Amino acid sequence: MMSKSSISENGILWFIKQGSGVLVFILIMVHMVVNHLVAETGLLSYTDVVHYFANPWIAFMESSFLIVVIIHALLGFRSVILDFNPSQSFMKVIDPILVIAAIIFSAYGIWLTVTVGSVAL
Amino acid sequence: MKNIGAPKRSNWIRWIDPRGKSTGSIGFLVNRLAGLGLTLYLFMHLIVLGKLAQGKESFDGFTAMAHNPFIVAGEVLVVFAVMLHGINGLRIALTGIGYNVGSQKRMLVVIFVIAIAIGLYFALRMFGGAE
Repeated sequence: MMSKSSISENGILWFIKQGSGVLVFILIMVHMVVNHLVAETGLLSYTDVVHYFANPWIAFMESSFLIVVIIHALLGFRSVILDFNPSQSFMKVIDPILVIAAIIFSAYGIWLTVTVGSVAL
Repeated sequence: MKNIGAPKRSNWIRWIDPRGKSTGSIGFLVNRLAGLGLTLYLFMHLIVLGKLAQGKESFDGFTAMAHNPFIVAGEVLVVFAVMLHGINGLRIALTGIGYNVGSQKRMLVVIFVIAIAIGLYFALRMFGGAE
């Protein structure tokens, strides 16, 4: 690997990162096909998005995708930090920041999904 | 300010420098860089999608601007990075468990070819929709 770290990546976190990566890859294919291939102009209009999110299964899938992609991205970012041999005290500062960022962005994404989905009701 | 042992600048330079690295390490570095780019894009994307909560005028105004060829080119780059990061990530996971360790260079070339081909396909479709 690139460099040895004084703090190695936890085996469970490594597994979550890899597993979420596979899930993200599948869900992102659906997301990209719908948003960039099916949409006539290459992007969904507001009406299209509202109609798309009115289906609760779609809203559930997109929310799940969002949470999984945020977890994968932040675990990946943490892995990059670990490449630089940070001290344990540095990671004690970074880890809670990443957890808080994951919670805030997931909550924001779910709120947005619910808000957009409820417009059609 | 209290020293909490943040990474040193020399470590960053060594990390990004591809010279003297094995094919596997270069593939690993490519994955890290694509991942960092996609993470940045993800959070920008989420913030921009906030326009959906502001209503039809705000969101449609933004999508009209997003048909700009420079933005479409950026979106194509994102598609390429997604394919590269996704397939290369799978290669790294497989290599990590000892599968096909000896043919990393060939696998990396194949991954680049697939990512470019899919990126080109999306580019043709997306630029077809660009004004």
